[in-house]
Amino acid sequence: MRMFSVSHKTAFVVDHCPYMAESSRQLIECDMLTKSRSQGVIPLAPVAKSLWTCAVECSMEYCRILYDIYPTKKLVNYIVSDSEVHILNSWKQEDQNTHDLMSALAAVGPPNPRQDPECCSVLHGLVAAVESLCKITEYQHESRTTLMDMADRVANRGRIICLTNAKSDTHVRMLEDCVLETIQEQNKLAAGSDRLMPIQQCELVLVHIYPQGDDTLVSDRQKKELSSVLSSEVHSVRAGRYLACKLNVLVQQHFDLASTTITNIPMKPTLNVCEQEEQHANTSANYDVELLHHRDAHMEFIKSGDLHMAGSTSRDSGLKETVTLKWCTPRTNSVELHYCTGAYRISPVDVNSRPSSCLTNFLLNGRSVLLEQPRKSGSKVISHMLSSHGGEIFLHVLNSTRSTLEDPPSISEGCGGRVTDYRITDFGEFMRENRLTPFPDSMVDAAGRAPIERAKSQLERHTRYWPMIISQTTIFNMQAVVPLANLIVKDTLTEEDVLTCQKTVYNLVDMERKSDPLPISTVGSRGKGPKRDEQYRIMWNELETLVKTHVGTSERHQRVLECISACRSKPPEEEERKKRGRKREDKEDKTEKNGKDTEEKSWTADTERLKGVMDREKDEQSECEIIKDSPDSPEPLNKKPRLATEEQQPPEKSKGPVSLLALWTNRITQANSRKHQEFAGRLSSVNNKAELYQHLKEENGMDVHENGKGTR
Amino acid sequence: MPTVVLMDSSLSMTRPVSVEGSEEFQRKNLAVHGLTMLFEHMATNYKLEFTSLVAFSSLWELMVPFTRDYNTLQEALNNLEDYDKTCLEGALQGVSNVVQQEWGSACPCQVVLVTDGALGIGRGSLRHSLQTVKQRGEDKKFPLPFPFPSKLYIMCIANAEELQATDGMDNLEQLINLNGGDGQIYTMEGPLCLKSVQSMFGKLIDQAYSPFHAVLRCGNLTSDVQVFPRPEPVIIDEEVDPMPKNVQTDLEIVGFIEIGDISSPPVLSRHLVLPIAVNKEGDEIGTGTTDDTEEDTSTNQMAGKSPNFCVLLHGSLKVEGMVALVQLGPDWYGMLYSQADSKKKSNLMMSLFDPGSEPLPWLGRMSQLGPASDAAENPYGEDDSKSPFPIQPKHKRSYAQNVTVWIKASGLQTDVQKILRNARKLPEKTQTFYKELNRLRKAALAFGFWELLKSMAELLERECTLLPDSAHPDAAFQLSHAAQQLKLASSIDSKYAAFEHNITPMLTDFSGGGGDRI
Repeated sequence: MRMFSVSHKTAFVVDHCPYMAESSRQLIECDMLTKSRSQGVIPLAPVAKSLWTCAVECSMEYCRILYDIYPTKKLVNYIVSDSEVHILNSWKQEDQNTHDLMSALAAVGPPNPRQDPECCSVLHGLVAAVESLCKITEYQHESRTTLMDMADRVANRGRIICLTNAKSDTHVRMLEDCVLETIQEQNKLAAGSDRLMPIQQCELVLVHIYPQGDDTLVSDRQKKELSSVLSSEVHSVRAGRYLACKLNVLVQQHFDLASTTITNIPMKPTLNVCEQEEQHANTSANYDVELLHHRDAHMEFIKSGDLHMAGSTSRDSGLKETVTLKWCTPRTNSVELHYCTGAYRISPVDVNSRPSSCLTNFLLNGRSVLLEQPRKSGSKVISHMLSSHGGEIFLHVLNSTRSTLEDPPSISEGCGGRVTDYRITDFGEFMRENRLTPFPDSMVDAAGRAPIERAKSQLERHTRYWPMIISQTTIFNMQAVVPLANLIVKDTLTEEDVLTCQKTVYNLVDMERKSDPLPISTVGSRGKGPKRDEQYRIMWNELETLVKTHVGTSERHQRVLECISACRSKPPEEEERKKRGRKREDKEDKTEKNGKDTEEKSWTADTERLKGVMDREKDEQSECEIIKDSPDSPEPLNKKPRLATEEQQPPEKSKGPVSLLALWTNRITQANSRKHQEFAGRLSSVNNKAELYQHLKEENGMDVHENGKGTR
Repeated sequence: MPTVVLMDSSLSMTRPVSVEGSEEFQRKNLAVHGLTMLFEHMATNYKLEFTSLVAFSSLWELMVPFTRDYNTLQEALNNLEDYDKTCLEGALQGVSNVVQQEWGSACPCQVVLVTDGALGIGRGSLRHSLQTVKQRGEDKKFPLPFPFPSKLYIMCIANAEELQATDGMDNLEQLINLNGGDGQIYTMEGPLCLKSVQSMFGKLIDQAYSPFHAVLRCGNLTSDVQVFPRPEPVIIDEEVDPMPKNVQTDLEIVGFIEIGDISSPPVLSRHLVLPIAVNKEGDEIGTGTTDDTEEDTSTNQMAGKSPNFCVLLHGSLKVEGMVALVQLGPDWYGMLYSQADSKKKSNLMMSLFDPGSEPLPWLGRMSQLGPASDAAENPYGEDDSKSPFPIQPKHKRSYAQNVTVWIKASGLQTDVQKILRNARKLPEKTQTFYKELNRLRKAALAFGFWELLKSMAELLERECTLLPDSAHPDAAFQLSHAAQQLKLASSIDSKYAAFEHNITPMLTDFSGGGGDRI
């Protein structure tokens, strides 16, 4: 594939001299009287297009097909020539559309038959076309700039299509010579310029148009090399539909197009393919539509030799081949990922015919249609699909041969295949959050990163801590952590975000105080898994791990970590405690079996707890206002006030070996405490001081936050 | 990329190799030894490759159809018989048929031709075939180039000097050039012995059958993977950009897109993405030879039990109906998705898009795709009801914009009739009447078809005279107004002949601009 082939630039030169005003003599009856109204009315004389009109509408049809199939990189420069040159557009991509060309053509108007024929010539246009081919296009420019010192790899080739009415073969030769000379002159000029490029290859296509009924004065001639740079061919064509056919064949040759006829399109009302037809077609009439597209869409047929089998001649031209594919009525609207080896834009041959517009509208409304390749054997092979994307219709080539990837080992047999608790749903959520969207070309962020780089860095941030399986994580199994987990991965946090994170942390603290159960995995551990305090310790550690990976992002991220460190109940001598904790666990496992009540604990546990309380209460004076429980001492809510009253007990009690009396009194007080209902205020008191009107502050998170800070 | 092994079983392959030492080998034995090595390599490192074995002399025979069962291939190889003379053309035709029957003409294949370089004499010899390449009819064309994309590797059980002494080397080089130049000739270095045949096949293995290992990355989540079949280098434009592009070994996910949004994109090739476990020495588990299978399975079991990102990604892609966009190199992208086969088994699959900044028009430029969360407003809508895709092109295509084409008389007649039909329903159809009238007017002006404007004006005037008594008085006003305007357009009066000018309904007392009911 070469980007700068001859088809990159096409210069149309259309003769606008007085003789082009001559009638094509192809009459069109536009007064079609209906039977009921025909009485007493003299029908209007039929109209005939001029040679100019024929040339213009066929060249516009050429452009229409070209722009449909190649919306970019295939450029047309439209030139009209009479006593002077009218250049209707430029090589700029923004000028490449039929509407602007039509508007410019309307401004030129039909040729003036009274203009002096002596000063009019198509030569002006041909010279302008050569000059224009030397002008650099934006694509050539871009390519040259990126290649820098290898800029000479960028070629300059082009084609001139000249629609004229020539006098004779000699006249034709004169036109060719003129083009050749001009190329030589212009190439010299271009060699010394930055904005111009010498022409390396030019194809001249001369189309001689003559009225119907006349004999042609110019003979057809196949492509011939006039020099190493210029080749030329001559087509002598009658105006009207012959010219239209000729240009249709040329556009296919010039742009590697091929034709496909979709056959058997149902007009059944139920399918809504052709709703307008509903009323007329009670029976299931079928119709055909011919489409043009790049010929690579037929590659498989060409190579396998099926082309002739599948092909039939086109209904209209009889000149070119078309491949017939059968419509397969779409069954569902389900989205499926087909294995598609190519997608090519289409253009209907008969764009405004009823069948064509029914088909294109059906597709533009979002339905896809599978196409079946007729085969001798009668077997059904789906080879293509028609589908529209954003208002453009594409012919997709589907793979219809055996796949070399069949019967692969299942993913469950490979690495990680035996693991069953992947966080599939969570990762699905992650994918939704990391969906892509197009940004306008100018959208770069402050760091000058393209959107795709921002997407990558977002993925990096979102995966800094991302356990893959459910049993590896606690925090991601907790609804309560979600707000913080969603926010902390963000590139920038607002004050409000920090607040939400802090609230999440407070909420966790609250859960811990209430000793809410955590969704800790029991996989791999014997029995019921770690005790609640151990669970919270694991949870806090994990949360800290998550937040720590984002600490460097901003000062606000840092503050979230600070909040966690401040609020979580970190045991003072972690290591030692772990050991003890393990020992204790063993015992607890046994005691748990004896009763459901968590208070029925071993003596050791209670003393441990008491010690924890002592230690904590000392620390807490300067800590957060909220009571943080030691991770080693899960306390039921109703026990806490009791503990506060135990403040008066001698500190030695919790130190040395516990006396029998101490154990006994302890037990008694506990038993008593259960019978006693505590004041609500004391229940939620801090250091035995209950704060009043707490709910007011909870409603307004800012206050809580400030308080937390203040007491620290 | 399936492989065809094309094995020379002509009599010349039985020529003994002169070795000082104990055993006497035939060239055929060396060839079988080399191929055994290749099959063993494939059985362990390239398991999913389909390989077939074709033997040839003056005739050819498909010994083993395409299979992944390397034992069958090995067995057939061991039982090869010896036949008559070498006739390569027929054999190449055979290869062409075998491949096309199985895989069609789009699937790239590798052909490994094993021969002693004695390419026959007289009719049917390669020399004769090549001399007559250009003088053939359509029905008797030389089988090269193959209709499918292919690489031709020629393994010569002979050394380079031997081949250069005759025209064997030239002929073989010509063969590769005829096939488009993709491939290589391997000859044996030094004496013909087991060692040199091993080294020759070793080079082929490195060149054509080394597995492609990569790291699949999604931010900080990674997995070591093998991509099968290995992605081949791609050349985009041999003139401007002749350097082949290679898929890099770092496959970085850039984001995710719904299957409906990516909607069956065209792809260059498809590949399985298989997670692999990499042990300390950096070797892939499973590369070992068959004797340590026991150890293998245990390590495989271990690997099966430790979580792998590929499995997680595959599961979520499948459940959510999404694809992951993955960057393969500078300005080159692909997609990862879950692919289910007929047996309900599914796998992580990667498809490669055409290299370039905008492989899919409906996604726009790949580098302009960014995280949806960066957009001011969620492009997918709060309830996932919207999508930013497909991207609409700047200009509508002809079939989406009601263009006017009068190449066929019927096109023109339909447009005229449409106007007349609406003219008879004035003033109810005032809007449509003027819309159609302006469409006709614009096209006629562009095509310089002034005659039509005049005729249309006359038709409208006649319609005016034919109005029944019961007609709304406004109809007559509008018809003569429209006719008048059309006539003005076909004169040189610049104001009325302007392309962008539209004929507007005449303001009358009856309706205040016509009963604009559409």
